Amino acid sequence: MGANITIVIAVILFSIALIAWLIWRPSITATRGGKMLAFVTLLVFPLLAGGLGVNEQLAHSKTTNFCLSCHVMEDYGKSLHVDDRSLVPAIHYQNNLVPRDNACFTCHTDYTMFGDMNAKLRGLKHVYAYYIGKPQQPIKLYTPYNNRECLHCHLGARSYQESEAHTKKPQRLEQMRLNQLSCSTTDCHNNVHNIKTLKEASFWKESGK
Amino acid sequence: MNHPLTKIEKRIRLSGLLIIAGLLVELITLRWSHPTAFLFFLLLGGTLMAAGILIYLFSLASIGATDERSDLAK
Repeated sequence: MGANITIVIAVILFSIALIAWLIWRPSITATRGGKMLAFVTLLVFPLLAGGLGVNEQLAHSKTTNFCLSCHVMEDYGKSLHVDDRSLVPAIHYQNNLVPRDNACFTCHTDYTMFGDMNAKLRGLKHVYAYYIGKPQQPIKLYTPYNNRECLHCHLGARSYQESEAHTKKPQRLEQMRLNQLSCSTTDCHNNVHNIKTLKEASFWKESGK
Repeated sequence: MNHPLTKIEKRIRLSGLLIIAGLLVELITLRWSHPTAFLFFLLLGGTLMAAGILIYLFSLASIGATDERSDLAK
């Protein structure tokens, strides 16, 4: 991301310099070369800078730091560091089962064709709720968590397919695949972001931090 | 710079100023890590840049229309 942002900033600064020159000497647009320069400066470069900016903002909005920058999310960030092997988000985060830099987004996007876009639209709804409404703790998902998001990684994994709990009943794997049996509400993996118990919890310290 | 600006030059200037303002908003929001930055980028920066580009395109179209009218007069 570091190199990308440098390129975006370079494009923006170069565009600003060209436009400033055009503002200073608008008479150059009387010539053919000047017209072409104005076209590139006032249309091509701003569109390029805007497109790169959108791309960078979207990439940035997937980061864990971005999600946790809102006050209401602080406890959810802390729950990733709880020293408890039964806490689903903590075990994923601490064992690198999800990329730590994009931990929230990895589990909370939709693994569908326009899933990332839907996730971003939901994000805009969060911002609206944050500023206009009064989010109550614990905050809740708009819709029940879909098994599809878990199975995006776990389906086909030996640890998942051969787990005793998953194979106890022959139809269980299929029920979970069809989202008829939720991974998180069947007394199996229901210890998720349990922020009410944070005060009593002990925390894992990330090395180097 | 001494001669008075023509209509298209004035529009190009306005368009340029709006686009620069939009680009500056984009520049600031890229360095600010918060969901509000995303909104500023999209709503303020995007609107300023879109307005600047539209004014420039409008100036091109209006010059084209003026040329056409003067050709017909001849």
